[in-house]
Amino acid sequence: MDYEVKASDDFLWVLLPTELDHYQADRIRQEVKDEMREHIIKYIVFDFKQTTMMDSSGIGLITGRYRDVASQGGQVYVSHVDDHMKKVLTLSGLYRIVVPWEHIVSSV
Amino acid sequence: MSITNELVVEFPAIGENESLARVIVSVFVAGLNPTIEELSDLKVAVSEAVTNAIIHGYDSEKYLYDTGKPEQEQGAAGRDIANQIRLAMSLEGRTVTVSVTDHGCGIEDIDRAMEPLYTTKPDQERSGMGFSFMEAFTNELQVSSTPGQGTTVIMKKVIGE
Repeated sequence: MDYEVKASDDFLWVLLPTELDHYQADRIRQEVKDEMREHIIKYIVFDFKQTTMMDSSGIGLITGRYRDVASQGGQVYVSHVDDHMKKVLTLSGLYRIVVPWEHIVSSV
Repeated sequence: MSITNELVVEFPAIGENESLARVIVSVFVAGLNPTIEELSDLKVAVSEAVTNAIIHGYDSEKYLYDTGKPEQEQGAAGRDIANQIRLAMSLEGRTVTVSVTDHGCGIEDIDRAMEPLYTTKPDQERSGMGFSFMEAFTNELQVSSTPGQGTTVIMKKVIGE
């Protein structure tokens, strides 16, 4: 399934595609950057709800957006992370910079 | 169950073919009844190797449809034959071997290229984790390369260990 990018106030929600590779990451990056030009985005949620595979291109996409929002005191969240995705995120050290969205929701 | 089988395909080095390569390898190992996790691991490894061939081996996604070269030097789609990726796979028992070959620029220093987080393309938001992922998601990884001639990556993965 395809991806979706939606902005609401200073939040950007990115529903990732079934398989997130270099080809898909380039398309998503372009759309996210377009949204970030139109809206002042501080928080980004990468939603893995329908994603079954991600390679290192996805890591580049997420760390790149972290750099964009971190300078403005923002944050990047990841949501619906399954076991495979958890392995990829852990291996890349990405958990040092992103926060599981479910932790935020359950603590409110 | 023991299966012996082989498959070789060639395709132009374009981003759309990253998913095609993953699907082909997935179908090739289907007879071994891999778990979802094993399949995801294999897909990541194949994806990394093919992506490397596209963005590093050929250093571009701008492919020449009309190269001005004689027809016999062009691939089936009329693209420059030099921008082809060869994906070969074989099965022996429960071990699948996947090799990805490009005829691109090659790698000067393989050890350096394989260091985690090392990338020559930070501007394209490459994470430098490609080879690390290939290593982590398979049982064995071999890289051979000749500068100016191309690179071959060979990965072995045991399914149903």
